[in-house]
Amino acid sequence: MSSNSARSNILNKLKEQVSGADYTKLPNEVGYQYPTLSHQQHVAKFVGHLETNHAQVIKLKDSDIARVVVEQLKQRNISTIMTGKDTEASKLLTEIESDIAIEVYDFDLAADEPEHKENKERLFNDTPAGITSSCGAIAATGSIVLWPTINEPRSLSLVPPVHFVIVDADTMVQDFASLMKAQQWHDKLPTNALLISGPSKTADIQQTLAYGAHGPKELIVLLVNA
Amino acid sequence: MTSHINEPNESKYAKSARAFRGNVTRDLANDELRSNFRGAMDYLVDKRKNSFPSADELETLREQCKLIKQRCLLKLPHLLEQLETNLEANGIKVHWAETITEANEIIAQLITDKNGKTVVKGKSMVSEETALNDHLEAQNIECLESDMGEYIVQLAGQHPSHIIMPAIHQNKKQVADLFADNIDGFEHTTDVDALIGEGRRVLREKFCHADVGITGVNFAVAETGTLCLVENEGNGRMCTTVPNLHIAITGIEKVVEFLDDVPPLLSLLTRSATGQIISTYFNMISSPRKNGEKDGPEEVHLVLLDNGRSQAFADEELRQTLQCIRCGACMNHCPVYTRIGGHAYGTVYPGPIGKIVSPHMLGLEATNNLPTASSMCGACGEVCPVKIPIPKLLQRLRVESVKATTGKPEVMKGEGSGRKTIEAIIWKGWSLLHKHSILYNTSMWFATRLRKLMPNNIGVWTSVRTAPKLAPQTLHEKIKARQKLNTKKGDS
Repeated sequence: MSSNSARSNILNKLKEQVSGADYTKLPNEVGYQYPTLSHQQHVAKFVGHLETNHAQVIKLKDSDIARVVVEQLKQRNISTIMTGKDTEASKLLTEIESDIAIEVYDFDLAADEPEHKENKERLFNDTPAGITSSCGAIAATGSIVLWPTINEPRSLSLVPPVHFVIVDADTMVQDFASLMKAQQWHDKLPTNALLISGPSKTADIQQTLAYGAHGPKELIVLLVNA
Repeated sequence: MTSHINEPNESKYAKSARAFRGNVTRDLANDELRSNFRGAMDYLVDKRKNSFPSADELETLREQCKLIKQRCLLKLPHLLEQLETNLEANGIKVHWAETITEANEIIAQLITDKNGKTVVKGKSMVSEETALNDHLEAQNIECLESDMGEYIVQLAGQHPSHIIMPAIHQNKKQVADLFADNIDGFEHTTDVDALIGEGRRVLREKFCHADVGITGVNFAVAETGTLCLVENEGNGRMCTTVPNLHIAITGIEKVVEFLDDVPPLLSLLTRSATGQIISTYFNMISSPRKNGEKDGPEEVHLVLLDNGRSQAFADEELRQTLQCIRCGACMNHCPVYTRIGGHAYGTVYPGPIGKIVSPHMLGLEATNNLPTASSMCGACGEVCPVKIPIPKLLQRLRVESVKATTGKPEVMKGEGSGRKTIEAIIWKGWSLLHKHSILYNTSMWFATRLRKLMPNNIGVWTSVRTAPKLAPQTLHEKIKARQKLNTKKGDS
């Protein structure tokens, strides 16, 4: 294949130019020192940024999650929600008495067999809302960190038009850099790691902001321990 | 004028770049287009300004990010190897392409190997560079742009006029007309929410059924073998999550060494581009679908494209071109771009960055006009988040464009192609005059005395200006006369 000779041609051309480069004498890269804020200030920033970006943030207790989700769904006339398999949300929602149907994401989306095509149709057309967990929060940008798993696939936070996400304020850090350090991202990264900072949006038509471009139209953040 | 021979694999953009002057005349006369650009640029300039409340923070970040990119470029060949090793260890296959044709062929092969018929594309300027859609469609592979702006541009049969906001040249009325002409059952409306809703409806159907997703890459992290994508709409996530095959294409300069390099670059990228402190989604892909996972592509491929980048790399000054993180701030702040718009350049990358990067991709012969289309106001260099000295590089390319053949190894393809004998002779004469005082003084004496003979009509210059006139005496003569007078006064 041409790409083998392309590989050596490209690399050789580049190496020829920097073969004698001394990497020990690189200038010091000084980062900006952001002021240290209190946890309360972090939470306020986090909520403020998310709300500016049209997300809805609800502070609550763990024990209220299911009730609030049901309420929010009813307000939107939504009667089903999809959860991951054996997740905190799925447990909480199945424990509560309500007329909301709880569906579990326990099917294969990607493979080519016909029944999997139906799975795609189901997720795209018959799933008005989804709920996921999160594994971190960033105050400086109002970002929620998701590491989708086998039990909580990545499309659950993407395809349903309403995305509920449970965020634990105790996982909040100042900025992205400190998050990666604290959670040691250098050593292990999942198939897909995500920062989500609001509902899907676009300003591609005449700089007019519109929400719900391709992903969720609404992002509802359930903030516990705040 | 130098004649040119069209190479068989030449980009279609070489032809449109050659037509620069005609394009400019055409687009300057289009009032609607000009008002669309003016409005958009004012909006983006404002948004960027507001997102950097602290000048100190901005300057520290710019310096830091410049140094990050320069370090990564200095180590580029090694980082590319490290990236390849780590991506392959994670299960992502890496391909290399020197030319746009090679890149297109690799991608087409990957798709046909999987019997793919339909492609959804996330926004990728590198795939615009290779004109990938044309190539795939010639092989009966449907290729649909899914970024809202790109979708609009594709429906209109155009190409992006801005690297971040591709449909910035269109207003909502034009988009509504376009939808009405192209989408069955669309009820004409200029309500932006409704227009986006329509795009969403059409494209979700496509995401659901597409065989392949193709995207670009914002940062490729060598340390971990991770592809990072920055976006707001969610179409990038769709393209990288739903289809069974994901192909990413990017230029070789997008690799960064460490995961720690990403946060400052990301912060500057989104703020410089659209004034957002962060984009809605930051999507980091480190492997194809793992055993047991229920979604995500079974195969992920990365195509690394050179297409002239190694040429820029070979010259230390021109190498700075490759620091670019494609934020578009330079075009947003450019008085020329704001007036002529993105399509006039004829290239994939318009505006100041386009003027310094396109000559490496298309050759200077096709792009000779671009470096001259600048007022040298310096705004692009001042806002560049990675401190690329764009005005300086424009001057350098002007020199490369007109330099005489020396027999030394070529710095860039098409160098010297803008050289005109008459211009060269004039400058030789100018240099001679300024080196020899007798020659200078004599010619100036004659020139000032014969000033009445200077024509009033000197082509384009006098079409909007009065002709310059020499003074009756040179400055030298006047100063001499005054000194004489002063000495006399002093004597008396």
